[in-house]
Amino acid sequence: METTSLPTDYFPIAIQFFVALGFVLTTMVATHLLGPKRKSKVKLEAFECGIESQGNARIPFTIKYFLVAILFVLFDVEVIFMYPWAVNFKELGTTGIIEMFIFMLLLLTGFYYIIKKGALKWE
Amino acid sequence: MMLMVWLIPLLPLLGFLFIGLLQKKLEGTSAGWIGSLTVLASFVLSLLLFFLHSGSSDEYTLFEWINLGVLSIPFSLMIDQLSLIMMLIVTGVGFLIHVYSIGYMKGDDGFARFFSYLNLFIFFMLILVMGSNFLLMFVGWEGVGLCSYLLIGFWFKTPEYNAAANKAFIMNRIGDLGFLLGILLIISTFGSLDYNSVFSSAASMPDNQPQIIAITLLLLIGAAGKSAQIPLYTWLPDAMAGPTPVSALIHAATMVTAGIYMVVRSNVLYSIAPDTLFIVAVLGTATAVFAATIALAQNDIKKVLAYSTVSQLGFMFAALGAGAYTTAIFHVTTHAFFKALLFLAAGSVIHAMGGEQDIRKMGGLKKNLPVTFTVFAIGTLAIAGIPPLAGFFSKDEILAHVWVEYKYLFVALALASVFTAVYMFRLFFLTFYGDFRGSQRQKEHLHESPGIMTTPLVILAILSAFGGFLGMPEIFSDKHIIGSFLQPVLAYPSQLILSKPSHAFEWSLISVFAILLLIIILYTYRKFVSNKNIPLEDGSVKGLSRVLMNKYYVDELYDYLVVKPAFFIGRTFHSLVEKSIIDRTVNSIKPILISTSGMLRRIQTGGIGFYIFIMVFSIIAILAYNLLIS
Amino acid sequence: MNSLIILAALGLIILFSEIFNFKKIIFPIVFAGIIAAIVAALGDWNNSASYFNNMIRTDNYAVSFSVLILFITLLWFVMSSSMFEDQETRTDYFSLIVFSLIGALVMVSFTNLIMLFLGIEILSISMYALAGSKKDNLASNEAAMKYFLLGAFTTGFLLFGIALVYGITGSFNTDQISEYIMSTGHSSSPVLIAGILLILTALTFKIAAAPFHFWAPDVYQGAPTPVTAFMSSVVKTAAIASFLRLFGSAFAGPSEFWIATLWVISAITIVLGNILAVYQTNLKRMLAYSSISHAGYMIMSVIALNEKAASSLLFYTAAYGISSLAAFMVLLIVSSKSGTEEISGLRGMFSKNPIMASAACIAVLSLAGIPPLAGFFAKYYIFSAALQSGYTGLVLIAVAGSLVGVFYYFRIIINIFESNVQMNDLGVNVFNKAFLLICSLLALLFGILPGLIIDAI
Repeated sequence: METTSLPTDYFPIAIQFFVALGFVLTTMVATHLLGPKRKSKVKLEAFECGIESQGNARIPFTIKYFLVAILFVLFDVEVIFMYPWAVNFKELGTTGIIEMFIFMLLLLTGFYYIIKKGALKWE
Repeated sequence: MMLMVWLIPLLPLLGFLFIGLLQKKLEGTSAGWIGSLTVLASFVLSLLLFFLHSGSSDEYTLFEWINLGVLSIPFSLMIDQLSLIMMLIVTGVGFLIHVYSIGYMKGDDGFARFFSYLNLFIFFMLILVMGSNFLLMFVGWEGVGLCSYLLIGFWFKTPEYNAAANKAFIMNRIGDLGFLLGILLIISTFGSLDYNSVFSSAASMPDNQPQIIAITLLLLIGAAGKSAQIPLYTWLPDAMAGPTPVSALIHAATMVTAGIYMVVRSNVLYSIAPDTLFIVAVLGTATAVFAATIALAQNDIKKVLAYSTVSQLGFMFAALGAGAYTTAIFHVTTHAFFKALLFLAAGSVIHAMGGEQDIRKMGGLKKNLPVTFTVFAIGTLAIAGIPPLAGFFSKDEILAHVWVEYKYLFVALALASVFTAVYMFRLFFLTFYGDFRGSQRQKEHLHESPGIMTTPLVILAILSAFGGFLGMPEIFSDKHIIGSFLQPVLAYPSQLILSKPSHAFEWSLISVFAILLLIIILYTYRKFVSNKNIPLEDGSVKGLSRVLMNKYYVDELYDYLVVKPAFFIGRTFHSLVEKSIIDRTVNSIKPILISTSGMLRRIQTGGIGFYIFIMVFSIIAILAYNLLIS
Repeated sequence: MNSLIILAALGLIILFSEIFNFKKIIFPIVFAGIIAAIVAALGDWNNSASYFNNMIRTDNYAVSFSVLILFITLLWFVMSSSMFEDQETRTDYFSLIVFSLIGALVMVSFTNLIMLFLGIEILSISMYALAGSKKDNLASNEAAMKYFLLGAFTTGFLLFGIALVYGITGSFNTDQISEYIMSTGHSSSPVLIAGILLILTALTFKIAAAPFHFWAPDVYQGAPTPVTAFMSSVVKTAAIASFLRLFGSAFAGPSEFWIATLWVISAITIVLGNILAVYQTNLKRMLAYSSISHAGYMIMSVIALNEKAASSLLFYTAAYGISSLAAFMVLLIVSSKSGTEEISGLRGMFSKNPIMASAACIAVLSLAGIPPLAGFFAKYYIFSAALQSGYTGLVLIAVAGSLVGVFYYFRIIINIFESNVQMNDLGVNVFNKAFLLICSLLALLFGILPGLIIDAI
């Protein structure tokens, strides 16, 4: 690992940082100055793909959405661990397979637990 | 072996816990029997240990107790000849007194409580004599002091008894302070509290080093407090407020001899401080004479015995002062026998008299209390020093040694010895001979004590009669049993060549004393029995007797010199320093604290935004300080 | 190491006990499992080995703190049986506790910053959920929310700090970091300093030391009492043990800057914790502030950073854990019977509930540091460790703080012994009495024989 780094090495990053900041600022200021300002009721209405909006968006809805969403994220993210294994498949050899299977077994137990707990039941 | 050694103090402790926790549930005399059995078991174990003992000094460490890096104090017990003798006395006499107490305390409300305290006392006393370092001795020392306090004030409903308990405790505190300072000085001088290491490094020191003198003097203050020597002796006569078995066990046979044990235990230190030894001798002799004269004019049976105890302890100190350590232990042993006997017999008398302790109201008890009479007679003969009873040998030995070392002290001590005989026979004749002088009701109440009380008396009487053969002078036997047994404890005999008195002196001492005693017995018999010369009422006593009856007004003197000024200082400090300075400061701190707290409390707003703000602010402050400023 | 596997398996068993319907016998299983974990941990004694590519090392430091944590948890289970009465949720709570133990054990035995992070997160996430385990109680929900938000916030700092340290030293391994710092010094790299300080602040948050303590009173008060007891004993022990493990090894080299920072933090924590406790009338909140001030004393061992630091910290956490569990137990009993958590709710406890009152007094006296109880020697050893390293000023502040502590601790005792008011016999059951008795005896035992623990490592 190269550990000696000089401040000058970070110069390109600084440039990019300022360019990004400058771009955002410039665009925002420019549109604000250039754009016409018309404030009508229709103009200020929420835009929902052209369909007329129905009531307030901040209504309570069932917790199951969250539960399913979170479980999805959980199992989705765990799959990421497969990638490094796949890349190093040959180097890791049999121990790699065993360890990965233990890992997946644990995931499966979790999955089994979720199903048995009824977390995925929609009723 | 290890287990056996540990069981000896542990059993009484378990007895204490068992009786103490279940005292409401234990019925009848069961608490007494449990207490007695634990002590008996300890006695049997001690006896076993005594016979198994190889002659070396063995240490048994249970665990590392205090470890401060520079100073490490293990919780360990030491078995050598000295501790074995003390263990046998404590458990043996202790067991007899336990058994006696079952009869004596029967029917008392605090029966179980009494035995739990007694067991606790035995435990602490065993720790005192078995500990292998000064701190453990101190633990036992304080523990027996506590038990003594609890037992003197056992009948706590009487305010005077509580006052006596307080007096004993406070007097002992003075001594304990000396002891504690001595211990600290030992740590700073030797860097250890362990007997073996302290004594082995002390053995190579020259005589009369200032710090050794200081250590021995401080320890002496402790010993004087516990063993009731001048000027700290006044608590012991008052301690007679406790039940009589307590007086016998704690205030005659065992606890009060702790001071002697301590000096003998640290004999190496005392031997290299001859100046202190001289002070010990003077102190002991003075106490012996002083207390003996007071005993001449007391009319309370227990008070006479109490002053006699103080006087006898003085004898032991005189022996220590003469460097005759084994003689002191010899006298401790015989004294434990006959003084326990006398106290228990006195208890039996008091029991028969329905609580009466004034000998002017007694007389002629010989017929009604035959067993008590016999054993009391043996006890009296023993303490007076009639050959061949126990007291004769030990006292004779003390006198002989003091003669060799300090001729002029010998005269005073001999005088004390004569007084001993006088007050003891006075007590004896007034109590058991003549006509009964008590009330009619008391007369009808008179009865011999039950077997459970007389059996220990008989055993102690036998011991008092024959205990003296443990240490016979050279003229009778070439084997001094206690002396030669204890010799290894005096591990550095090179510094301690005791010059022995000549045989001619021994013979003349014995014969002169035998004649003197005969004269005293005749004189007291004539005065108190034939002429019926009963001591006068308190008010009509005149002259020297009045001074003696009032114990030289020492209590009044202390009251005037120490107690009143102390109270005055206390009151002054209470009103000036405590009330106006300390209280006011502390009381003003409280509102400050509360108002600061109340103000600071407001930053705990409960709003997360604010919390995060403070946190981020703090992080920025920390980073800024470390990265930018420094 | 085996204890970690045992605990993980135990957690899974608990989860499945609900599905396979054996949750009736789950209590003995958990008990046996934790005892097995203690035995397994003791098997590593004097048998230091590294696992998972040098991520965890079972040295004596790790073993002694693991055993302490597991032992305190065992005691905790006895006191908090009321929490597991609800059949619906008991398996969840049990498994959360066991999982949090895994985190705690990882925290005291890591040799890699990643493991430290994982341990902290495993522990914290379980605690977030547990703090909110009284679902229908608003205060409990608020506590969980606050704890989670602030905790997640500081986790960010922790990660940032770890990243900066990694960026400079090129390693997550504590030994290698230590080597790097020893060889190059820190003054060359402000980034490294910033990283260390960020890690320091994050850990300071976890042990609830000022000025990162704000969450503690609110969370401690809002969370269910057993959970609060768990947080103030087990969680705090794990956090401070990981603190000392990290700063005593990886950053122990040139350490003036973070020691100076910690010095200030410790002083503020002791002063603030004690002074704020004075005003409280709510016993639970007072204990929360007292727990903050104790965090200040514990930090002193990290500051001392000498050979006595580890043993004095072990003793302190043991003494504190036992005494605070006993105090929370008393609070739990009183509040469940009388419904109040105020100090005045303890009034006149002694006459009818002597055992509980005595245990409460012993616990409080031990917390206040009165000899001959464990708390006294705990303070003594920590202070002497700090003195040995020359931090006299800090010790003076700490002693002054303890004096203020005596003030509010004695208010509890005064209330207990108040004779004007008579509390009814609360009918404490045998288990609870036994628990209180054990805690009191341990507090006495450690006080009389401090060598039992202090000589352990």
